Amino acid sequence: MVPTIFYAACAIAAAGLTLLLMQSGRKFRMGATILGLAGIAWILVIVVQTIPTPASDIGPLGLMILCAFVSVASAVRVITHHRPVFCALYFVLVVVSGAAIYVLLSAEFVAFSLVIVYAGAILITYLFVLMLAQQSPADIGSADAVDYDRIAREPAGAVIAGFVLIAVLGGSIFSVSEQKAESILDQNRAIRQGWGDLSMMPKLLLEQARRTDLTVTAVVARTDGQMIAVQTDHSAIISVERAGQMTPSDLTLAPSLLPDNTSRVGMALVTRFPVSLELAGIILLMAMFGAVVLARKQTDIADDDRRALAGLGKVMDGSQSSQGKANR
Amino acid sequence: MNQELSSGFTIAANAPIAVALAISALLFVIGLVGFLCRRNMIIMFLCTELMFQGAALAMIAFARLRMDVSGQVFVIFILTVAAAEAALALALVVLLYRKRETLSADAWSDLGES
Repeated sequence: MVPTIFYAACAIAAAGLTLLLMQSGRKFRMGATILGLAGIAWILVIVVQTIPTPASDIGPLGLMILCAFVSVASAVRVITHHRPVFCALYFVLVVVSGAAIYVLLSAEFVAFSLVIVYAGAILITYLFVLMLAQQSPADIGSADAVDYDRIAREPAGAVIAGFVLIAVLGGSIFSVSEQKAESILDQNRAIRQGWGDLSMMPKLLLEQARRTDLTVTAVVARTDGQMIAVQTDHSAIISVERAGQMTPSDLTLAPSLLPDNTSRVGMALVTRFPVSLELAGIILLMAMFGAVVLARKQTDIADDDRRALAGLGKVMDGSQSSQGKANR
Repeated sequence: MNQELSSGFTIAANAPIAVALAISALLFVIGLVGFLCRRNMIIMFLCTELMFQGAALAMIAFARLRMDVSGQVFVIFILTVAAAEAALALALVVLLYRKRETLSADAWSDLGES
C-alpha cells in the first residue's frame, strides 16, 4: 500500500518538473511550482512516516527537512533557469544547504571543505567560463536568453526516466526500513572506534591525558599489551607514568576526550587510504597538466599570428615555424 | 542519544538518515534530468556536479548510519575528482566554444563517422 502512495507522490513531482521545464509551461509557472513542491513534500512525509524517528530527534529532523526544501528547490532552479549565471548561483545555494545537511549528519570537516572547494573554487571556475563564453552584446540587453537556454530538449522523456529511478530507489528505502535500520546504529561500536583511533595518535593521547591529570609525563602500554581499555560507560582507562612515580598507574579518560571529526577523518586518510590519497594527488596533477595543454594550444596560434602580423616570420628559423604550424 | 559525546558523531544517534537519502536521490535525479534536458554545455556539466552532490550526500548518510568515517573520506576523494573534472571539462568547453561560437550542444550533433 505504501509504495503505491509513494509512486503517486513521484508522479506529482514529475508532472510539476515537466511543466517547469516545458517552454509552454511558463504560463502555469506558479501552478507547476506548487505541484512540484507538493510532490516533494509528499515524498518526504512518506519517508519520515515509514522510518520512525525518536522524540529526541525532532529538532534535527525539522532542520533537515528545511534544508531538503532549500536544496531541492534550488536544484530545480539550476535546471530550469534561463540564465546560466543564475544557474551557477543557485548551485551555490544547493552546496550551502548540502553542507548544512552534512553538519546535521555530524560530518563537520567535509561540510566545510565542501563549501570551500565547491562554492569557493569550482563554482568560481564555472562563473569565469560563463563570462569567457559570453553571448554577443545584442543578446545581453534583450529581455530573454538565447534559444538553447530557453528550450529544453525532450523534457517529458527525461523526467519520466529520472522519476522511474526515484521510484525504484524509494522502493529500496522501504525494504531497508523493514529490516529495522536502527539496529545497525551501534553507539558502542562508534565509541570503540573512536578510542581505537585515539590510541593510534600518541601525541593527542598524551595531550588528553595531561588535560585530565597535569602530573602525567608519558602514556605507556597497559599490561595486556593494549593502549586503551574501553569501559561500558564509554570512558577509557589508560596506563600513565606520573611525575615522581616509578611504576605506571591507571588513568580514566572521560568520553568528552574522544577525538573529534577532523582528527578521525585525517587519521583515516593517512592510515587506511594512503594509496588513494597519493592517487588523488596524481589526478589533480594530471588535471593541471591537461588544463595547461588545452590552454596553451590557443596561445601558440595567437603568438604565431602576432609574429606573422609583425613581420617577424623571417627572423624565426624554419624548424620553429613548422612546429608552430603543426600545433595548429 | 548522547549530546555530550564528541566521538566525531555529535548531534544525535538516530539522526534522520532516511530523509538525507531521499534528498540525495532527488538531487541525483534532478541532475540527471537537467543533463538530459539542457542544451547549454556549461549547464550540462553543472548538472553532473549536481549528481556528484547527490552521491556524496548518500555517502555521508551511510557513514552516519554505520558510524564510520570511511564514507566521509570517500567524499573528500569525490571533491578531488570533481575539481579535476571541472578544470578539464571547462577547458574543453572553452575550446569548443571558440570553434563554433556557440555553447549549444546541438551545434556538435553532426559529429560521427562520415
